[in-house]
Amino acid sequence: MKNPLNRRLLREFKQDLGKYISLFLFLCLTISFVSGFLVADNSMKIAYDESFDKYQIENGHFALAAEMPSQVKEKLEKEDVKINELFYKDFSVRKDDTLRIYRSRKTVDKTCLMYGDMPQNDSEIVIDRLYAENNDISVGDTIKADGKKFKISGLVAFSDYSALFKNNTDMMFDANRFSTAIVSDEAYDSLSDTNEVYCYVWLNNDTSLNDQQQADKADDIMDILKETGLLTDFVKRSDNQAIVFTGNDMGSDKSMMMMLLYVIVVILAFVFGITIKSTIEKEASVVGTLRASGYTRSEMVRHYLILPVMITLIAAIIGNVLGYSCMKEIVVSMYYASYSLPTYTTIWNTDAFVSTTVIPCLIIFIVDFVILHTALSLPPLQFLRHELQRKKKKRVTKLKRGKFITRFRIRIILQNIPAYLTLFIGIMLASVLLIFGMVMSPLIDHFKVEVKDSLISEYQYILKAPVETKNKDAEKYCVNSLNIPDGESITIYGISENSKYLSDIDLPENQNEVIVTDGYMEKYNLQTGDTIKLVKKYEDKEYQFKIVGHYYYAAALAVFMPTSNFNDTFEMENDYFSGYFSDDEITDIDDLYIASVIRSNDLTVLTDQLEDSMGSMFPLISVFSAVLYVLLMYILAKLVIEKNTASISMIKILGYSNREAGRLYNSSTAIVVLFSILINIPISYLVMRVLYYIFIKELNGWVNFYVAPWIYPAMFLIGVVCYFAVHFILMKKVHKIPMTNALKNIE
Amino acid sequence: MQLELKEIYKSFGSGDNKTEVLKGISCTVEEGSMCVLLGPSGSGKSTLLNIIGGIENADSGSVSIGDDVMENMNEKQLSQYRRRHLGYVFQSYNLIPNLTVKENIEVGAYLSDEPLDVDELMKSLGLWEHRNKIPNQLSGGQQQRTAIGRAIVKNPDILLCDEPTGALDYNTSKEILKLIEEVNQKYGNTVIIVTHNDAIKNMADRVIKLRDGQIRKNEINKQKIPAADLDW
Repeated sequence: MKNPLNRRLLREFKQDLGKYISLFLFLCLTISFVSGFLVADNSMKIAYDESFDKYQIENGHFALAAEMPSQVKEKLEKEDVKINELFYKDFSVRKDDTLRIYRSRKTVDKTCLMYGDMPQNDSEIVIDRLYAENNDISVGDTIKADGKKFKISGLVAFSDYSALFKNNTDMMFDANRFSTAIVSDEAYDSLSDTNEVYCYVWLNNDTSLNDQQQADKADDIMDILKETGLLTDFVKRSDNQAIVFTGNDMGSDKSMMMMLLYVIVVILAFVFGITIKSTIEKEASVVGTLRASGYTRSEMVRHYLILPVMITLIAAIIGNVLGYSCMKEIVVSMYYASYSLPTYTTIWNTDAFVSTTVIPCLIIFIVDFVILHTALSLPPLQFLRHELQRKKKKRVTKLKRGKFITRFRIRIILQNIPAYLTLFIGIMLASVLLIFGMVMSPLIDHFKVEVKDSLISEYQYILKAPVETKNKDAEKYCVNSLNIPDGESITIYGISENSKYLSDIDLPENQNEVIVTDGYMEKYNLQTGDTIKLVKKYEDKEYQFKIVGHYYYAAALAVFMPTSNFNDTFEMENDYFSGYFSDDEITDIDDLYIASVIRSNDLTVLTDQLEDSMGSMFPLISVFSAVLYVLLMYILAKLVIEKNTASISMIKILGYSNREAGRLYNSSTAIVVLFSILINIPISYLVMRVLYYIFIKELNGWVNFYVAPWIYPAMFLIGVVCYFAVHFILMKKVHKIPMTNALKNIE
Repeated sequence: MQLELKEIYKSFGSGDNKTEVLKGISCTVEEGSMCVLLGPSGSGKSTLLNIIGGIENADSGSVSIGDDVMENMNEKQLSQYRRRHLGYVFQSYNLIPNLTVKENIEVGAYLSDEPLDVDELMKSLGLWEHRNKIPNQLSGGQQQRTAIGRAIVKNPDILLCDEPTGALDYNTSKEILKLIEEVNQKYGNTVIIVTHNDAIKNMADRVIKLRDGQIRKNEINKQKIPAADLDW
């Protein structure tokens, strides 16, 4: 015989439809998003991982100042590697964008054609799919490079540029203003050689080498290249951000998503647990009778566990179906909006299924089992007598001071501590999500303003060789790039002692003393008086500088010293300089001598890219957290009303109006909610700050954590508005409680 | 099966607050008989019933039903003991609010390997036409009938009734007592009724009077009258 108690489950569900449907939808939505994310992430990751073999991605590349002499190539190939030319030419297109043009690739770093066709003639070109989408460029459009018009015949994904880093040292890739492209060999040859980079890639013949062996081989290759004196750039695959950034990002997002899912499931498990516990309290005499009739504790625990576990299971199954269908597409489109990835195939992911179905059900089962097992461990007699306190309170909390109403409300709060505690924790989680959703866009905007405010000059020219200008606004400076050992690059500026562009900087006089940017100090926890150690990449030179001050320059991690010290440090002539700061555009220097021009837009690529990749996510996260606010407030506040139905009914009999009764009970919840929102604003700020620093330290460069002042009142307002909506429903609930209820329930 | 109580002691509290509720209760209730436990408030009758029912532990002494002795049983064994031998009827009916009459009775049937036929039982309890109603659609008497149905459907050796008419009016109380009598006669269960209503003792085979935790009177009722003829 089937347990007849099971027949209550559906009725129980229908009776409390609002609560169960909200929990179901919230779980389903969360699981579908995480499941979709995991499936998409996994499928994309597999496509990404397989692309290494499929598209023969390089083990590393290097650039030389001239074409490689054949004896060097022979020497390199003795290291059991294949060397391939991958020359490219950078051209400025569409205002200030950079188009990096390659010949067609046949053996190494092959491309994946996403739309259209590969170039069939000299006037056709294929460009990166993501850059094209970001700039509304379609197949059939034309693009002008080096004065020549090319028809875009197709859009491709470059296997060695899944993240469009123009230079490996860039803070962030820039899929808005940088693209790779391929033209026919003839078309390539017809383009100006001025900007050609003699880039070579190597592929290990032995594909079974482990990471260490590959790194050793890269070191051997570099040693050979150093001897030539021609080496200008050297990047092994594991250091190549354009290749590895995407893969690393995929992994990090996954753990964040899992964490988010499990935290939400644990909170919902407590919500389930507390509501079931309240049901048990309500029907204590029934529980007592059943236990007295011979139902075992396990049978009762099982009975009360079925509904939450079933709801979670169904939510998980439907969530997974939605995850594989709708949500996957959303997440895939987010990936495609961030990275230039090849085509993918959806792959059934057992881990995703376990993580989003089995584990949530297990969490609900374990948390609620513990709650129920404890709640039902009382002897049957205590249930029959409605004595559900494990220990009888020896002392009642005395509330001598205050008005009756205040004391009444405090009593309600004391009566519902577990529910209010869950509400507090839930609001904490929702607040962290909310601040995350709200903080990023203003942070990005603020960073852009900071960069503009602290801009040294409107234009920073970097020259290939020192060339004089007649422009009166121009001021000479020196620049070099050093690296933190095994880390990112730091810009070293040598500036005039009486610089008009950096007039407020207090330059040190002594050799090896420097001024460091605030971002650099903050990122690496440096203090004035500390010594920093920097190295010159590809050379065995090490530099040590003593920090004697700091300077606010948001755009980069940089070090400032006087020009004279700079030239001494880097063994340059006394009159050496690398470029000009200028607020005016310099027009009297031939483009041939200009390596690059940095404008304020160039300094905000990190934040621009963050905005492009995640910008659409931020409002979604805010909405999600507001839904979480409403859900938790509704379920837990409703519980307080249900628990006190008889009392509410009784005070109505005594003469309290519906409004007064509602206020009496709901205002306790309102106090807790307002208190929780207020307390959780600084808590969420601190949590967000920690999470942000963990995130931003992984990236090259630095963006200060900034919370726009309007966010705090906005968070409070959102919380209050959410509660107000819930309060309205709760007041209606109180209105509906009949006066006869108090009489009916007296046993 | 015969119920036998030996030297049952029970006290509550400790030290100066210690109250001895049962002070060495020993008695036997014959198989298939109807026994009424009478006594004023605080005499210990409900505590005794709870000890027989295995929902409260005695400080010392033993309760045995046939060969099954309830002494030092753990929670699981107690559940099995209650499952095998006992049916419970309370003053407040304690029905499951969102189950129908039939389903409430099936809740009891589920506990037995050989339950009585639920439909038959509902007919004999006069609940057939109410079988699809939920408790709040029933009168107090009908609810108590359902509670009796739930208790006896598993055909327990002993039916324990704690103030079964306490919440009912005179006529309905008599109806319920008649029903309990019928059940006792038809199914042969031992019935123990705890009541403070002196008149109910007249329908019992055995009457046990308690006062201050001790049996003051334990006698066979030689002038037993049918429940229908009771008056108070």
